[in-house]
Amino acid sequence: MSEGAGARDRPTHVLVPQRGWRGLGLAQVVPWRGLLWALVWRDIRSRYRQAVLGVLWAVIRPVVTTALFTVVLGQLARVEADGWPYALYAFTGVLAWGFFASAAQAASTSVLGAGGLVTKVWIPRVLLPLASVGAATLDFLVGAVLLGGLLAWHGVSVPWTLVLAPLAMLWVALVACGVGVLLSALVTLWRDVGHAMAFLLQAWMLVTPVLYPLSLLPPAWRPVAFLNPMTGPVEAFRSAVLGTALPLGGCLASAGAGLVVLVAGLVAFQHVERRFADLA
Amino acid sequence: MTGAAPAIEIEGLWKTYRVRAPGPSRRLGRAAREDMHALRDVHLVVPAGCVAGLVGGNGAGKSTLLKVLSRVTDPSRGRVVLRGRTASLLEVGTGFHPELTGLENVFLQGAVHGLARRDVRERLPAILDFAGVGAWVHEPAKRLSSGMLLRLAYSVAAHLEPHLLLLDELLSAADPAFRERCHEHVRSLAARGGTVVLAGHDRAALRSLCTHLAWLDAGVLRQWGEPGAVLAAWPGAGARP
Repeated sequence: MSEGAGARDRPTHVLVPQRGWRGLGLAQVVPWRGLLWALVWRDIRSRYRQAVLGVLWAVIRPVVTTALFTVVLGQLARVEADGWPYALYAFTGVLAWGFFASAAQAASTSVLGAGGLVTKVWIPRVLLPLASVGAATLDFLVGAVLLGGLLAWHGVSVPWTLVLAPLAMLWVALVACGVGVLLSALVTLWRDVGHAMAFLLQAWMLVTPVLYPLSLLPPAWRPVAFLNPMTGPVEAFRSAVLGTALPLGGCLASAGAGLVVLVAGLVAFQHVERRFADLA
Repeated sequence: MTGAAPAIEIEGLWKTYRVRAPGPSRRLGRAAREDMHALRDVHLVVPAGCVAGLVGGNGAGKSTLLKVLSRVTDPSRGRVVLRGRTASLLEVGTGFHPELTGLENVFLQGAVHGLARRDVRERLPAILDFAGVGAWVHEPAKRLSSGMLLRLAYSVAAHLEPHLLLLDELLSAADPAFRERCHEHVRSLAARGGTVVLAGHDRAALRSLCTHLAWLDAGVLRQWGEPGAVLAAWPGAGARP
């Protein structure tokens, strides 16, 4: 503080009751990006420090999930994966979906679990769910290394579209932000939403082409499947990795649905944020 | 304080919570709700360079007032003007992660107060010197005592060089030596034109530290002024009016 500086040149904050439209709240994120990184780093650091198995969990989850479904759906139910080895086909889906699901799950409890960061100090609270999504990226990156190994093992030649895979993951991350922000607000208002979470994510996975190709659906249903905001990014990731065709119209529809979720999540969050300190 | 704009202006501040109404709840539909006023029409002007103490029993509204001033919760009615960068310390260990070391938590704490990593690094020697927890700073926070966490947290907040420092009753967790260091810091901050608002119960400490006291009673500002006069009127923490 400069000596003798009068209170007149200091920044002024006016606190009044907040009503009505509050926007998306993204203007606060840029000046507070330092805290966003600090929260991401905190989540990653603490998670990998206290777990004995550390990074191994990031390997075990997608591998075991894929192995189980390869046996049940690939071997027993003989799901046809557009000519691809089922394990490889399913793993691309499980990886993209797993990133989404763990990010959304972590984000949903981020506000309720933040304690004093919500009730004892002011920060832009939308950073909390966003940081959860950021921290989930590390698990995904570990899985991506596994995917590379699996591709090599199956002798799949890598298509040029692989360079687009990060964009597909960014898409997954944006949908995860939308869903995570929305759920974190809902869970803080109504705790029961938390109990429904596992069920919700499981049901959502089953209507998303994670473990089966879209070609398994009757042709009339396929456009409907793209109204699911996760169909587009999962298909886009798989298409980038395996070089399969991607229906552009469907992707636009799915991106539109994702955008609606993202905007709705941010608006809803800003709307209930003012009550968080009294609820969390 | 000479002619400068006041650090805090509070005009007709109300904070109202909807709470479950006492008595038997209706069997069908939602339980009856009624308004509980944590703050009732508070008017207060805190000049810059002032150390303002908040006194009053439990539930008088001290913490609620600090929460409104630190922007944690919105006013229900009225208006507050704050001039200057604000740092608030309403709880020991807010934002501390038990698995991270004291040092890692210092950086996290800086970020929570909006301070960039390199700014924290610049001030790190001063922060650690002020906190005086020695080699404990490399231990996970879960092994540190609440007094040590307070030392680190206060030290970070102090080195933000805020214009306005808000403290809830947490200096009671400090040992006498550190409490004295905090009191010194509060006085020097005020001497440089900063403003401190703190809640407390300890009459002797309030008398020696504060330039003004505000007595809150059931959300109403009963008295505001020179510490001696307010303490003479205030029946005390344990007393029943």
